[in-house]
Amino acid sequence: MPLIELKSVSKIYPLGNQQVVAVEDLSLQIEAGEFTVLAGPSGSGKTTLLNMIGCLDRPSNGEVWLDAEEVGQADSKTLSQIRLNKIGFIFQSFNLVPVLTAAENAEFTMMLMGIGKKQRRQRIVDLFAQLGLQGLEDRKPNDLSGGQQQRVAIARAMAAEPAVVLADEPTASLDTQTSEELLALMKELNREQGTTFIFSSHDPLVISHAQRVVSLRDGRLESDR
Amino acid sequence: MDLFLLAWKNLWRSRRRTLITLAALSFSLMLVQGFHNLSFGVYSEMIDSGVRAGTGHLVVYQQDYVAGRDEKFSFDPQKLVSQISDLDGVEAVLPRLYLPGLAQSSRESRGILLTGVDPSAEHMINPFLKNLTAEQLPTLSGREAVLGSRLLKELQLKPGNKFVVTLQRRDGELVSEMFRVHSVVTTGIKNVDKSLLLVGRERAAAMAGMPGEVHELAVVLQDQRADRQVFPLLQALLHDRPQLRALSWDEAMPNLSNAIKLDYASQKFIFVIMLLIVTIGVINTLLMSVMERFREFGVMLAVGASTLRLRVLVFVEAFLLGVVAMLLGSIFGSLLTWYLSAVGIDLRDFIDSSLEFGGVVFDPIMRASWDLPYMLQIAGFMLLLSLAAAVYPAIKAGRILPAEALRHH
Repeated sequence: MPLIELKSVSKIYPLGNQQVVAVEDLSLQIEAGEFTVLAGPSGSGKTTLLNMIGCLDRPSNGEVWLDAEEVGQADSKTLSQIRLNKIGFIFQSFNLVPVLTAAENAEFTMMLMGIGKKQRRQRIVDLFAQLGLQGLEDRKPNDLSGGQQQRVAIARAMAAEPAVVLADEPTASLDTQTSEELLALMKELNREQGTTFIFSSHDPLVISHAQRVVSLRDGRLESDR
Repeated sequence: MDLFLLAWKNLWRSRRRTLITLAALSFSLMLVQGFHNLSFGVYSEMIDSGVRAGTGHLVVYQQDYVAGRDEKFSFDPQKLVSQISDLDGVEAVLPRLYLPGLAQSSRESRGILLTGVDPSAEHMINPFLKNLTAEQLPTLSGREAVLGSRLLKELQLKPGNKFVVTLQRRDGELVSEMFRVHSVVTTGIKNVDKSLLLVGRERAAAMAGMPGEVHELAVVLQDQRADRQVFPLLQALLHDRPQLRALSWDEAMPNLSNAIKLDYASQKFIFVIMLLIVTIGVINTLLMSVMERFREFGVMLAVGASTLRLRVLVFVEAFLLGVVAMLLGSIFGSLLTWYLSAVGIDLRDFIDSSLEFGGVVFDPIMRASWDLPYMLQIAGFMLLLSLAAAVYPAIKAGRILPAEALRHH
């Protein structure tokens, strides 16, 4: 059974008296361990699709299955538990908590899971070493470069060892070299730990690193290669 | 890193706003504590002064004497004076006799309240007599009288002059006796200065045909807060004499008690308004803080935080704000109380040197007294208000939808 399965999923947003179809009748299967990019121009429905896979939003129609569980119509409490235990998020603008240090940001999800301080710290030491963040543990996000912040965001997403990491335009705020480095890093994590990565991006660099590219246009599946 | 640490760090994101809110909270707590303690000190002094001149902290009457002041309700105290004096916490027991009558000089006559007292017992207790020397006190059975200054003036008498007091004896006959102005007191209470006529208790009792009897046993305590402990002991002593009743000062002097209650109620109203205004300020601070973090809360929800956890986070922030305000406010409140008790507020430039309130004269230099239970109570109340102020912001935080918040810039 695939890790993620979308069955005839649609998402319709009300906009005044009109209705905007963001995703229309889309079906998709993603296996565990894939390194997939949802590609397409702005407004093609990439982020909406990613939000539904990530249990941040519910589909208007259709079913979303994650790890053999139908999550499309689950209640808020269940969705937040699924996000905590199975999903890691990486955002375009990093979205670190500015009052917390790099280490505190990275261990945030583990804190939510109730993991003890000692265990959290050990995991952060390992992750920071792997991500090249040694010595930056006590820095606040504002004292870090964009690339460093995104590495901390990757650490936060990976810390609780999720089944899938969802990254919404993760390189859009970074220069090419940093983007290249981060993509290589995520690919390494995908390869070594078997974590599934799903990106939304229209950046050719990201697309070039992908194992599978799912192209969207006007909320519909254009191609899958 | 736990929720308390995160909440604490969040509080200091907008340092200036948090400091202003803390200042408003702690300043209002300081004012409430300081001015309550000032009132507490003034009221305590008024009660003390009132009970020493009036009924005592506790008082023994026969039946309903307190309701109508009917002089027929007199009683023989027998051994009660010494028995009550032996109770722990009792400073003095003052037997008194009150007889309405008429005082006549050669030129004028006035209605008076002839009060029979034990001069030596009253001397150190009764504020009306505290300025007199032992020689200026009347004797227990002599014809020396202490007059209020206004009464002296209205009767057109001078110290040493003689005058006649007429009253109705217990058997209904009118009786007149001559007294001599021995000394004069000015209490500052208009009605008292117009009607006060103190003589020795034995002389008054003999004149009224009720030798050895009294209308009142005023029990003065060493500490007015001990009345709850002494009252049941006093009631136990009266067990064998069902016609006698023990009352506390507030039952026996409802005018003073009600005046204090009314004054404090108006002050409490101001306290409540002040605290409500401050609470609105706290709501504003917390709400702004939540709205500013709309996107951040969305991220927290996305990475797995529950809406309950966000609500708890807002409450913890309010709790920490309240705790810091409680500590700072209590320190400032203690400093203000210390100043008000040591230095006080001098009203002499604004009012007469003697000021009457609720039938009692109080010192124009107002001084605070420590009311620690109240200070703790109001500090706890401040903490509760901070938490109450977090309810609406916490509800708002809990309603944030992660997908919508992540689109927010």
